[in-house]
Amino acid sequence: MTIDWWTLGFQTVNVLILIWLLGRFFFKPLSRMIAERKEAAADMLAEAEAAHRNAEEALEGIAATRAGFAEEREALLRKARGEAETLRQEMLEAAKAEAEKRLAAAETEIAHKAGAERAALQAEAARLAVEIAQRLLARLHGAKAMEVFLDDLLKAVAALPSAERRTIAANGAHFTAVSSAPLDQQEQTRCRDRLAEILGRQPAIEFQSDPSLIAGLELKGEHLTVENSWRADLETIRRELGHERNP
Amino acid sequence: MTAPLTTEPLFTFGPVSISAPVVVTWALMAFLLAGSVLATRRLSLKPSTLQAALEMVVETIDGQIRDIMQAEPGPYRAFIGTLFIYILLANWSSLMPGVEPPTAHLETDAALALLVFLAVILFGIRANGPLGYLKSFAAPTVLMIPLNLVETITRSLSLVVRLFGNVMSGVFVIGIVLSLAGLFVPIPLMALDLLTGAVQAYIFAVLAAVFIAGTISEGRPHAAENLQTSERKTP
Repeated sequence: MTIDWWTLGFQTVNVLILIWLLGRFFFKPLSRMIAERKEAAADMLAEAEAAHRNAEEALEGIAATRAGFAEEREALLRKARGEAETLRQEMLEAAKAEAEKRLAAAETEIAHKAGAERAALQAEAARLAVEIAQRLLARLHGAKAMEVFLDDLLKAVAALPSAERRTIAANGAHFTAVSSAPLDQQEQTRCRDRLAEILGRQPAIEFQSDPSLIAGLELKGEHLTVENSWRADLETIRRELGHERNP
Repeated sequence: MTAPLTTEPLFTFGPVSISAPVVVTWALMAFLLAGSVLATRRLSLKPSTLQAALEMVVETIDGQIRDIMQAEPGPYRAFIGTLFIYILLANWSSLMPGVEPPTAHLETDAALALLVFLAVILFGIRANGPLGYLKSFAAPTVLMIPLNLVETITRSLSLVVRLFGNVMSGVFVIGIVLSLAGLFVPIPLMALDLLTGAVQAYIFAVLAAVFIAGTISEGRPHAAENLQTSERKTP
């Protein structure tokens, strides 16, 4: 057995060179790539961890914000409910006051309107009554009607106290007899005679006619006025109705 | 067939004789260099199938170094990894017709063992300093210095003999069978020789790592125990 020292030397150098070559061109690039991949993976994991941590923090923030929103929402709702209740009460009171005010105004207006309408109706009724009476009495002109009015006139004068009758019939007393229609001579004589019976002396009477009396016979003197006509009666009724309307 | 224990020169340059193992080694070096350059010129973070396979090889070697040496594999990766890859390819080069594995010659195995011997010294000095490395021979007692010195030599010799004996015997047996039987008869033996070659490459690399780890782990009792355990298990 012999050793070829040249071969031993060459092989030693060859393997040394091969160690350098593989270390330079094989192991170093691959190990660097492995290290870079591990580093990249570690960076990605760190980034993922950081992102996960950020996401958790964001979720916690969102949860806190949501909780704050809920509390704020509850507070706002309570405040809004309170304000709405207050506003509702104020509106109700205002509406109630306005309604009462309008009701009072309406009642007043209704009362005024009702009074005015009632007055107008009464006036119209009175006017119609007068007109009706005028139309009816227009057909009653005659001796009998005048006789009735003359009786009523004499009764009114006779109802006066005797002292007052004597004063009325003092010397120089002058009377005016107004009838709704002109009296003929006979009626004038009878009126003068019957009045003389009551007064105790023959009075001086001037006879006149006034259609506005409607019907009747009135006597006017210096100290005496006897309204004995339908115009006077209707006027009295109208005044009484007016008193009832305006108590 | 040439005698297995002799190395005949293929050609000479003056006094320098170039033998077949040297030429085959040069061819393997060219192949490995070309393959490395081609395989690593387009590396990316998203690896191709080839890149993934090569990275798996590197990570496997790193894992073995990390397990055996209890240290980061960076400083030792190129040495241990190159030993494994070169011995593996050298053993498997017998599949090429007319090629005899360089490791079937004593000079190649001796060169590899010499490199391991020098690497143990170099890494030991770098890890513990010159004095610390020398002190490692006096562990656990001064009385162990002769035995440790002898062990340093003998374990290197054991590397040579183990690798040479296994590879040379395989080549020798295949040659004998091929000369006696038909063309296809040695195929099972060649397959067995492939397995033997891979196992021997692995053993050589692991033992180199164990020897280096034993030197750099002085002062680390647990690592030393682990290393002794690993060496006892080695065939």
